[in-house]
Order: sequence, then C-alpha cells, then structure tokens
Amino acid sequence: MALTPDGAGEAVTPDALAADVSPAADAADATDATAASALVTGSERDLARPLVVPNTLWTSMRPDAYRSGAPAVTHLRELEGSDLELSDTARWGQLEVIPTKADLVVDLIRMNSLWPLLSGLACCAIEMMSAATSKNDMDRWGMFPFRASPRQADVLIVAGTLTTKMAGPLVRLWEQMPEPKWCVAMGDCTCSGGRYKRSYSTIEGIDRVMPVDVYVPGCPPRPEGLIYGMMKLGQLVKERRGQWPEHKIGPNVPTDV
Amino acid sequence: MTASGTPHQHPSLDDPRIMLDDQIGQFEAVPPYPPRTEREAEFYSLRDGEMFVNMGPQHPSTHGVLRVVLKLNGEQVVDLDPVLGYLHRGVEKLCENSDYHHIISQIDPLEYVSSLFMEWAPVMAFEKLLDVEVPRRAEYIRVLTGELLRVSSHVLYQGWMALDLGGLAPILYSFIERDEIVEMLAAVTGQRMLFNYFRIGGVNGDLNHEFMSRLGDWMSRAAKQHEANIGLLNENEIFVRRMRDIGRLDGATALRMGTSGPNLRASGVPFDVRRAHPYSVYPELEFDIPTRGGNGGGDSLDRYLLRLDEVSQSIRIIDQCLHNMPDGPIMARLPRLLRPRPGRAWAAVEAPRGLFGTYVISDGTDQPFRMKIHDPSFVNLQLVGLLMKNNLLADTMAVMASLDPVMGGIDK
Amino acid sequence: MDRSLRARLEARFAGRLTGPVRQRHDETEIRIRPADVIEVLRTLHDDPELEFVVLADLCGVDTGTHMQVVYHLWSAKTPDWLRIVADGMPREDPRCPSLTGLWPGAEWMERETYDMFGIIFEGNRDLRRIYMPPDYTSFPLRKDFYLADDAARSPGGGVRHMEQTQAPAQATPRVVRRTVKA
Repeated sequence: MALTPDGAGEAVTPDALAADVSPAADAADATDATAASALVTGSERDLARPLVVPNTLWTSMRPDAYRSGAPAVTHLRELEGSDLELSDTARWGQLEVIPTKADLVVDLIRMNSLWPLLSGLACCAIEMMSAATSKNDMDRWGMFPFRASPRQADVLIVAGTLTTKMAGPLVRLWEQMPEPKWCVAMGDCTCSGGRYKRSYSTIEGIDRVMPVDVYVPGCPPRPEGLIYGMMKLGQLVKERRGQWPEHKIGPNVPTDV
Repeated sequence: MTASGTPHQHPSLDDPRIMLDDQIGQFEAVPPYPPRTEREAEFYSLRDGEMFVNMGPQHPSTHGVLRVVLKLNGEQVVDLDPVLGYLHRGVEKLCENSDYHHIISQIDPLEYVSSLFMEWAPVMAFEKLLDVEVPRRAEYIRVLTGELLRVSSHVLYQGWMALDLGGLAPILYSFIERDEIVEMLAAVTGQRMLFNYFRIGGVNGDLNHEFMSRLGDWMSRAAKQHEANIGLLNENEIFVRRMRDIGRLDGATALRMGTSGPNLRASGVPFDVRRAHPYSVYPELEFDIPTRGGNGGGDSLDRYLLRLDEVSQSIRIIDQCLHNMPDGPIMARLPRLLRPRPGRAWAAVEAPRGLFGTYVISDGTDQPFRMKIHDPSFVNLQLVGLLMKNNLLADTMAVMASLDPVMGGIDK
Repeated sequence: MDRSLRARLEARFAGRLTGPVRQRHDETEIRIRPADVIEVLRTLHDDPELEFVVLADLCGVDTGTHMQVVYHLWSAKTPDWLRIVADGMPREDPRCPSLTGLWPGAEWMERETYDMFGIIFEGNRDLRRIYMPPDYTSFPLRKDFYLADDAARSPGGGVRHMEQTQAPAQATPRVVRRTVKA
C-alpha cells in the first residue's frame, strides 16, 4: 500500500501545484546537493518532493466551510520566491467572496466550541482523558463535552491504534459526523502506524482512510501536546484551512501551518 | 479557483444509491452469514419479544473498543455476546520478530494503565531463561514503582466506575491523583504512560531526587487522600444501590471461569500471585490479601470496595519499600545481544486486574520463538456473559465496569 | 523445583506421559498426548493430593513441525507452576479436546488459539474467531504466516537478527580485543 517513488507518476493528479513545485524543489535540491549528496541517494532525493494524491475516500459536500477560496498550500517551503507564495494579505485577494464580520464571528464560534467525539481506542485515550480533566483542562477552550454520538460532534480525535477491524466503524463514525468537521490524529499509531507498523492487523496511519487536519505525534503525546494540537486546530478552523482535498505523503511537511 | 484542478468526485457513503447489501450487512448487530457454532446459533435466534441492541465499538464507556451485542427482552438483558478484536494489534507476532530487549517496549501498551506490570512478567520470564539474578535494589525499585502504579490504576478504576454509571465528577478526582503519581513515575522513567522502564536484569534508571521529593509529598498525603477517595462515593446512595446485588459471582464459579485478581478476591477466594507464588521481594514485605464476598459471592459493590482495600495495602507496601530500600546496582550486567539457551519459561505477576503471565519459548536465537501473553482482563471479560443474565440494560455498565477490563490487554 | 511433585506426577500419570517430567526453576512440565488432555486435567483438578484449581493459561504453539497446546496450572499444594504440553498435533489438521467442560473460562482462550493457529478444539461450543474479522482466512501466529516485512522473511540460519538484511556483517567492524602482555 505504500506509495514508492516509482509509483509517483501513476498516482498523482496533474495539477498546477505539482507542476510548480518541481522546479522550485529542484532548485532547492541543487543547493543542498553538495551537503547532502553523501547521505542522500537518488531515490531518496525523489522523495523530497511532496507526493500529492487526491483524497479518493471522502470529499466534503460543503467545501466552503473549510476553505476561503485560497489555494490549499500557502506556506510550502518550495513556494518561497515563486509567484505562488502567498502572504496573509495576498491570500484574501484570491477570494471570490469578501469575508464579513459575520463570517469572522462564525469562525470564532466554531473555534471556541469544538466538541470532540469520544473516540478513544487505546492508550492515547487515557492521555486524551487526562487532557480533558482537571490538571490540563481542555474545558478552558470549550472542548470539555466529549460527545458520545457522532451526530453532535465537531472534531474526531482519533486516539489509539486503528486496526483493520475497527476501520469500518471508524470511517462510518466519520461519515456520520455532520459538517463542518475536523480530524485530529493523536499518537504515533494514528499518524503513521507507529510501533505497529509491521503488524498484520493495523492500519498505518488514519490518513489512509480519512482526511486528517492535525497530527499530534507521541507515544502517547503528553496532554500538553494534545492541547497544542487542538490550538493548531483552532487556528485552522479560524482561518478556514482545514480539509485539504489533497493530502501530502512524504517527508515534506509545510512549515508554518 | 482552487489549486486542486478537478477534484475527485467520490460520492459520500451516506448516499443510499451506492450502498450495497453486503456493505450494509456488516454494520448490523446480527452477522450476515449463517451461524457457524452452536453458541452463535443459540444467541442469534430470537424468541418472541426479543431484540438485538448493538453496543458498538465506539461507546461512551471508557474501557476501549468493545462491542457487545445484547439480546433484550424489553429492558431485561437475556443474553449478550461480546465481540472483541477491534484493537488487535498482533503483539505476539511482533514479539516473535523482536529482540528480547525490544519486547519490553512492545508489551507496554497491552494494559496501558498498568504498563509496568506488563513489562514485569516478560522480564521475569527472560531472566529465568537467561539465569540472571536481579540485584536487590532493582527488585525493590520494581516493587515500589509497581505498587505506585497499582494505586494509580485502582484510583482510575474508581473514576471510571462512576463515569460508566453516569457520574462525571469522580473521574476528575481520579485523574488528579493519577496525574500526580504518573508525574512521579515520569521523573524516574521519563514517560507518563508506557514507561519502558524495566530491563532484563533490573531497571533502567535509578531513583532520583525529583522522584523522591514528589514521592515524599505524595506519601505524606496518601492516607488522607485515600480516605477522601473512599468517602467520595461509598455513601452515595445512587452509586451503592446501582451496584449492590448486581452481578453476584461466587468463588467456585470464578475459579472455574479462570478469573483472577480483584474479581476473584471479591468472590471470596484469597488468591493473589504475590502470596500464592511469591516473586521478587514480596516474601519480605508485610501486607494482607483483602477478600470480600465470603458468603454467597461478591457483587459489583464488593469488587469496587475490594480495590479500595488494595490501595491501602499498596500504600503499606510502598512505605516498607522506602524504609528497606537497599543500596547497590540497579541492573545486572548483560550483553546487548542476548541469546538464551533453548527452553521454556513461564512467569506471572499480580497486575491490578489479575494474573498477568508470559510464556516464552526460546530457540537459542536472539528472538523468542513463541511469546504467549496471558492477560487477566481477557479471561475476566467472559464473566460479563455470565453475570448479566436477567439484569437490566442499565446494569450492563455496572457489571462490565466493575470487572475493570482494559481493551488493550484483551485484544493484545 | 518440587521433587515430591515430580514423584506424585510420575506415580499418578505413569502411562500417559510421553516424556520425562522436566523441572527448571519453579516450573514443572509434563508432556501428554492430546487425546489424554481431559483425563489428565480432570485428575489434576479433582485429586486431593494435586488440586490444581487455577487455570493460569492456555496457549497454542506452532513448533514448525507440530502444533502443541500448552496449559499452565497452579495448586496450593506445591510451590511450582505446572505446565502441561499436549504435543504432537499435525499441522494440517490440529485437533484437541476442549477444556470447557472442566473450566468454562477456557472458552475464550481456546477461541484465541483457534484464531491464531487454527487448532480445532472439539467440544468448544463457540469456536469462532475472536480477534480477526470473521471472514479472515489465515491463522496469523503460524510459522508460515510472515509479516509483510522482508527482514522477517529472511531465513536467518543461526542468528535471526532483524538488522541482518540491512546491515550486513561486513559493515560493523569486529571488536579488536587488546590482550594484556604478560
């Protein structure tokens, strides 16, 4: 299931973004090549370009809740210096709709009252509960009511290893959540498979089955780490940058998300 | 304009036009294939007035992903069928392909609430295979940290018990206590939860000043805090009446069902691995084995109260460990590449949920040939089917929570 | 290491043991045939001298050539653990009598053994898969089920070290021992 660099050519949807990324990436690679050539072989240098794959499992029915019309990637390292690099003010210039104060208020409301769904699968659930209880209180940001029903929840914090048997119910839970919704992958097992990467019955990272907004690494992440992830999610919600229709596979993660 | 070009239009799964019948079938309570065993046929056939309710893998109870199919006659639970495997991570297979040292970190997430005990039994089994003697200071440190974790686990159980019955406040108290103990352990092991602290032949790091100062603070308050925890729920009428006489289990049945730990001791059988088959330095320590439910067996309230009794015993043990802690090395000297002689070893410890045992077969290489993990919650969960007959639906949670299952260990 | 236990076992199960009673550290091990499992375990449970009332574990083992089922019992009458190995089941069709008549708590342990190895326990009323989905076709803990990882599939031959496929022996210099000149 892992996409190798050889498979890159087949899986990518050709779009302007990928085409613009490659020359910038080559330029960046050329400068680093001398320093890194001893360590980085040819195949690994190909991995340095982000692999953009369309999300074939799920697309939002209301994408305007998540994006303000701006392109998905705004702060990719490779875009610096190119004409696709956008600063904050430039981003709003690409809109079709001018955001009003009502939109801002709605965003603030959504950000400050993100109700998570109780989706604690394994060990990370204990740290999630620890983040929700007295010492590291998530109630300060409005996230205390962990809803039991997906119909009432905003955020799906997947905490714990996702196994093949549980994948069906979890995707069904995700489908049952009404939009706008966001997903936080908490813990190494949900980010990438973690310590169970070699196992026959786990799914190596939930971004294989659902779109993830925030990855919180750790085994388990400290409650403070989860809170940091939720803060990042709050930023995403407020700036309407969630639910990227394409998700990136590869070592290049945008720096300033 | 979005930068995505033409986004892939995949229809949502909620669209009824594309849902095939066999896709719907997998989400129903009744399996979509004919019954394969006697018990399945007996369970999945409905009599007049009965219905199936699926308590799906995601539910507000905090044990983890356990799916229970209940057969209800109105409000009364006629039968139930737990479905496991939603957290099966293949730990035993991964252990067969790991070094002996690596296994210690593989096994931690089994019962993540009490992960030091999960490390303890395999480490004891490896020490038997390698004929390694553990230094006394290391043994005392193991007992000390283990009993601290037992206190933390039982206090967390208190909170979960109340949470499953609907009380949202006690879990906050439990987590205060747990956070304190776990920060203490983080000072010495480096991690809050999956400690990876025990090593073959000892422990990883010695006790340090921060641990001792935090432990001293905690111990000075421990007895009073324990009394406060007892007083939190013991006299709460709703709590007591929801737990009394629910799920009565007698000792003979418990033994036949393979139960161990507080569930067995709350049925009147005084079986504790620390006294039945002493390991480590437990023969030198003074503590009692509390039992409850001597006549007629124990109900859920007995199981709850017994764990509170065990907390006071654990505090006693911690006290003795602190006073009798010897000096010396904390780890036996072992090579990094461990190749024990071919052989078999079994070791069991008393985890907060029962007898946690490991059976290791070594074939002379640096990876075990077979590593069987016997988890207590796995065996204890069979009791749910036994104890829930003819109880009401709301008592399901009382019974299940009183058995204190942790799905990580159940599903391995 | 309880010698008297060994004597008692040899006296009680003279004909049924397929090997010597082995003792190491605090464990005693006996080997029997799968057909004798119910009889031997019932005797171990009911006999007042033996009184092994606690079933601590039930597991399956795939030795590569045969399948085994291993039981661990505890008794208050002896300081040793007792291990019973029911050996000699063929790998194509491993069958073993079920212990659920004696210890109903063995039901799930036998289900797990069936799920992981394919050993059929005759008499278990509920022998279906417990961990894997019900339509799973393989038995994961068998030795011919490889993890999807090349290192696990490599033959090993001697030392099955995980890193051998990636870091060949030549990459690590041998340790040069300095000998003390006398």
